[in-house]
Amino acid sequence: MRDLLELAVSATASGCIYGLIALAYLLMIRPTGIINFAVGEWAMVAAFGGHLLLYRYEWPYALGMAAVVAFMMLVGWGTERVAVRPLVEKGAPLLAPILALLGVLVVTREVISVSFPPDPLPVPFPFGIGRLEIGPVGGSYQSFFIIVVTLLVFAGMWFFFEKTLWGKSFEAVALNRRAAALMGINLSRVTALSFAGGAGAAGLAGLLVSPNISAHYLMGVPLAIQGFTALVVGGVGRVEGALLGGLLLAFAEQFIARYAPIPSGYTQGVPLLFLMIFLLVRPTGLLRARA
Amino acid sequence: MGSILEVRRLTKRFGGLTAVAGLDFDLREGEILGVIGPNGAGKTTTFNIIAGTYDADEGEIRFAGQPILGLAPHRIARLGIMRTFQHNRPFSGMPVLDNVMVGAHTRFSKNVFSRKAANEERFQRRRAEELVEFVGLAGLRDADVGTLSFGQGRLLEIARALAGEPRVILFDEPAAGLTPAELDRLGGIIRGIAQRGIAVLLIEHDMRFLLPLASRVVVLNFGARIAEGTPQEVRSQPAVMEAYLGDAAAL
Amino acid sequence: MTAKRLAWVGGFVILAVLPFFLGSYHNDVYRKLLLWITLALGYNFLFGICGQVAFSHFAFYGIGAYSVVILLFQLNLPFPVAIVLGVVICVVLALAVAIPATRLEGFYLALVTLALAQLFIVVLNEGGDVTGGTGGIANYRLPPIFGWRIAGPSYTVVIVALLAATLAVLWRLDHSWFGRACRAVRDNPEAAAAMGVDVARTKVIVFTLTSALAGIAGMVYAFVDNTVNPPIFGLDNAFLILFMVIVGGAGRHAGAAIGAILLFLLPFWLSPLVGHHHQLVFGLLVVAAILLQPKGLIGLWDRFSR
Repeated sequence: MRDLLELAVSATASGCIYGLIALAYLLMIRPTGIINFAVGEWAMVAAFGGHLLLYRYEWPYALGMAAVVAFMMLVGWGTERVAVRPLVEKGAPLLAPILALLGVLVVTREVISVSFPPDPLPVPFPFGIGRLEIGPVGGSYQSFFIIVVTLLVFAGMWFFFEKTLWGKSFEAVALNRRAAALMGINLSRVTALSFAGGAGAAGLAGLLVSPNISAHYLMGVPLAIQGFTALVVGGVGRVEGALLGGLLLAFAEQFIARYAPIPSGYTQGVPLLFLMIFLLVRPTGLLRARA
Repeated sequence: MGSILEVRRLTKRFGGLTAVAGLDFDLREGEILGVIGPNGAGKTTTFNIIAGTYDADEGEIRFAGQPILGLAPHRIARLGIMRTFQHNRPFSGMPVLDNVMVGAHTRFSKNVFSRKAANEERFQRRRAEELVEFVGLAGLRDADVGTLSFGQGRLLEIARALAGEPRVILFDEPAAGLTPAELDRLGGIIRGIAQRGIAVLLIEHDMRFLLPLASRVVVLNFGARIAEGTPQEVRSQPAVMEAYLGDAAAL
Repeated sequence: MTAKRLAWVGGFVILAVLPFFLGSYHNDVYRKLLLWITLALGYNFLFGICGQVAFSHFAFYGIGAYSVVILLFQLNLPFPVAIVLGVVICVVLALAVAIPATRLEGFYLALVTLALAQLFIVVLNEGGDVTGGTGGIANYRLPPIFGWRIAGPSYTVVIVALLAATLAVLWRLDHSWFGRACRAVRDNPEAAAAMGVDVARTKVIVFTLTSALAGIAGMVYAFVDNTVNPPIFGLDNAFLILFMVIVGGAGRHAGAAIGAILLFLLPFWLSPLVGHHHQLVFGLLVVAAILLQPKGLIGLWDRFSR
């Protein structure tokens, strides 16, 4: 039982990471239809930011975290300016910015790989290494930290979309770009903000996960796939779906790894199978949400 | 003249709304049949059901005696019913002539590696050139479709549909968005198509364009037929006047 | 028309004679260049002509290579049987993916095939004795074929023949109703259907055909390095092949070939400057191509040669 709860806490924590990445995708897909596969690389960049500010320069955690997230939002905003907006303004097919972002993905990864040594680099834990026990529920400090931060982010997102005018204009754009433009909503500003927000969410995920797995320039693609799987499982319709999908995926992953009688290496395949099965069995749900 | 397309008891509901309600009409060989009606009368829905884009809830459509309701759009094209789109949908990555040749898709034998294939290709290219000329785009056959005007794009739609050697051609509001000069030319082309023995079904809102052109007219309102006959007959029927009340200038 | 055909035949004869004047290092480089061009031509048909973004192309290259090696040297099947069975495996797998996956719109196909490509690597790594695990399988030799031992420059000729056959098939398809149907599906699926094109079927055929062609190229590749291992078939190369087609010019055979040649040779020239980080240059080229020259290098060539 204790073992099970321990596993549940750690699965919840990684589900939160996937949920944040899924949120990053969602923020960009909803208003633009663009699947930005570079979110994994953004998480990676943030992990390196964490290494630089928190480990090498030993900034206080809160300050470093704020700086990294702010920097990532700037990166997202800049990416949109350079690789997305010119194409959207030219009326290029939707695939064009998606492919351009794949180019950005590779450039981002290589810039980091040129700038840092190739070995995994440490990122400090905000509260050190230790265990927290709440009744029968136990887990590492970091697990609880991840869960709390993620819940705050999703609560903030919920508030943003439900209660603020900005959030409503976001939804209007997601439903119908042309109608939204006619209503006087500034499309390019919404798009820029969605990329800034997406990069912020992805960066937060990278920063939160990096103390456990270290900052490494190849960490992006697996996170991008897991996050996208979470998005597909949860559906692109609602913000909460991202978190739900992330949690489902992480529980499946960790419980299969622990209890299913398959060789441990194959457990890497679980999110991939999840992704394929969900895309193939329930594609209509996805497509409808995109329209 | 026999009927090539028979529509019977056609019904289509969207949720609580009945867009087409037990519609009956025939398209006869070689005629130009106009289907008119006020906005929301069910014209476009009817068109989309015949073309295979929508399925119907009830009813029957027969083409040359064969039931076609529920077939996928590409199967309907294969049988010999081709269509144009109201909002032009060219294949933007291909020049004009190749766009028209896509229309001839169903006219090729399957094996692309046979010796016959090269001859077919040459034959269809010549036919496509003729059709491009027929609709008046002769000078533009190698042009990028992106450079065409809206009116030229409409003509391309027609040439492309004709390339499939249809027995029936469906026009979805072909007059929409055209200049008066282009309308004149379009009228001539549609008459020319009918003279080739192809039955024409015209869904149209613009009565001034349609009435001089059509051999017969079916008037829809609330998804059902409220009148049918020659343009002169239909024009004088009170039910039609009523349906178009507020739009009387259109008559 | 015949003069043109003669020029093509002559060109391929020169390509086939060339390896006999090259040393073994340059033969190796030349072979890989030819294989990349072959792969890019197939991928261009899928992505550039039929408009489907898939990341499984390189995985099928790997499936072909691993299949033939496993069938020949783990299961000890006779050579012709192994070749036929290898092709069958590629076709069956491609169909199994294509039938459900080509229903997906736009980039979702890309993600399913990305997952497939990753899953392939997982299977290779965890395949134990069958796949040789992370180390792969090495130290085998192409068995004699009907008493012939093909090695050195003669094997390069085999690759030239593969390239010629691939190009001939794709060219023929492209310059027929089928190629036009593919482009129609890419440009406007709804209008394509109205013209009588079976959109789903066209997508499935193209995905299966190009995947099988990649598989066959992979079978040929298996005897170039005489080793197959997971890193060769990883995601980097799946991206690279997409980048080749984009940079060269999607939708054009010449574009795909130019892109393949450029991005294959670029690292040789770039390595003194950027070391192993030539991917940085590739990424920048792709972004620049999409933003500034969507028709790729071949489009640039058209503009200046006019």
